[in-house]
Amino acid sequence: MFLAWNEIKNNKLRFLLIVGVLTLVSYLVFFLSGLANGLENLNKEAVIKWDADGIILTEESDLTLPQSSLKIEDYNGAGADEYAVLGQFYTIATAGDNKANISLFGIREDEFIMPKVTEGKVFKGSGEVIADDTLKNEGFEIGDELQLSATDETLTITGFTDNARFNAAPVLYGSLETLQKVRFGESTENMKDRINGFVIRTDNLEEVEVDDSFQVIATQDLIENMPGYSEQSMTLSFMIYFLFIISAVILAIFLYVLTIQKISIFGVMKAQGISSGYLAKSVIAQTFLLAVAGVIIGFIFTILTGAFLPAAVPVAFNYVDMLVYGAVLVLVSILGALFSIQTIVKIDPLKAIGANVWHC
Amino acid sequence: MALLELKNVNKVFQSGQTEIEALKTTSFSAESGQLIAIIGPSGSGKSTFLTIAGGLQAPSNGEVFINGNDITRLKEKKRASIRLQEIGFVLQSSNLVPFLNVSQQLKLLDKVKKNNLNDKQLEELCESLGIRDLLKSFPSDLSGGERQRVAIAKALYTDPSIILADEPTASLDSDRAFEVMDMLKKATTTNGKTTIVVTHDTRLVDYCDQVYKITDGQLRLIEEMASV
Repeated sequence: MFLAWNEIKNNKLRFLLIVGVLTLVSYLVFFLSGLANGLENLNKEAVIKWDADGIILTEESDLTLPQSSLKIEDYNGAGADEYAVLGQFYTIATAGDNKANISLFGIREDEFIMPKVTEGKVFKGSGEVIADDTLKNEGFEIGDELQLSATDETLTITGFTDNARFNAAPVLYGSLETLQKVRFGESTENMKDRINGFVIRTDNLEEVEVDDSFQVIATQDLIENMPGYSEQSMTLSFMIYFLFIISAVILAIFLYVLTIQKISIFGVMKAQGISSGYLAKSVIAQTFLLAVAGVIIGFIFTILTGAFLPAAVPVAFNYVDMLVYGAVLVLVSILGALFSIQTIVKIDPLKAIGANVWHC
Repeated sequence: MALLELKNVNKVFQSGQTEIEALKTTSFSAESGQLIAIIGPSGSGKSTFLTIAGGLQAPSNGEVFINGNDITRLKEKKRASIRLQEIGFVLQSSNLVPFLNVSQQLKLLDKVKKNNLNDKQLEELCESLGIRDLLKSFPSDLSGGERQRVAIAKALYTDPSIILADEPTASLDSDRAFEVMDMLKKATTTNGKTTIVVTHDTRLVDYCDQVYKITDGQLRLIEEMASV
């Protein structure tokens, strides 16, 4: 640490540049992780809100809720601690100048997926809904009458709930009857027992008994099979992993150049009997200091930026993730430094002190 | 007792098809309290001799003893530790670390080795080398002569039993050169060290107990002072 720190102190500009690069890389990593997290929330909030373990869908639905179609009597709760019926339909809601893509959930008021109302009242009769509060930010209000695309039915917002977006669309919660009216219009009577799935709470999904034409999947699988979800999160994860590699390589190059510059100094120290191990430890310590400084500054910048971003940017910082990513960045930086260690070990003190010798 | 002993040592380098004997078979021993000069033109094998004696490279044949320990076949890691404990190098090229000031140069040695000079001895050393006012200076702020004196301080600071100096007076004027030799002489006799100075500065031989000459890899004793 003695050598490492004194070198940094006496070559401030050089090391400031390295810290600068690390700051930018960690800033990008943190920001992308916030974005990945935010985008994930955008998709899965409503599912997480169920606090459920699995969902029953039809075999042919390919694990997507809207494509699954069952009847209420298809399942009786065998093997589950608790279950709730769920109907779902995407549509576009308009109130005055406000327009939004929404996901309408048809539920039973007395079942566990019924959301807590944060403002206003619960829905009562047909045509009343509780809305996700992001709609409030877009200008929708309690009492708004919503015109829907592809139907003459209208819905009225009676209250708001929080954290309720499904596959990027804010959710409107209403009764099954409300859903069927919107979805099937005139033919409601024949279709009133049609739903999209059964949401299940259980300790063991294996024990849930269903016919062969149905399947029980974990809620996590439902989330991952949402259109675009995996693609988005994989793309962002890929970028983050790539940044790890980039920062390792950048650090490796910087430190390698610095090491090459110091070959004669290291050589002289080795001639005096200072071990390669001590010099290697010094380089590692130096890398550690630089990486930690870069990561901390990057973190501060990220938080500052986050505070000034408009709400439309789906950034949500998960501090546990960030801690892990920061630690990984420090770790890969040190891996980059290892590249220089072998150079140090190989330095021949004889050459470094300029002894006039031939080499075998 | 011989602090440094080379028994039938030679060094052969392979250069393409031909073999070059940089150091012909030589036996050499240096006793405690001796200051020895080795003179010879460049390319004569002085550096080869010095680096073998200092454990920086192994001889092709023969054995090297430092303070009674055979270091001939030791691995580099072991040799490095013996260099640190037993040998003080004063190298021709400045052996200072550019980003450490003078007192930090010495402090670095405290990090890697115990039993260095105590504060009082260090003060005396700096006083006699005339570097006491330079302790906060960085190598780039020092003149060649000052750097050389700091290098000597560094070599003496670990209290080695053997001092190997390669042209220690090369960048010094006569007065300073004689002062440095006085210093080395004093360190050698009062603390029972042995000092080998490789040089082509014949002014220095007056300080030495023995003078060897090396030509074409052949080491010969040419002068032995009466005092020994």
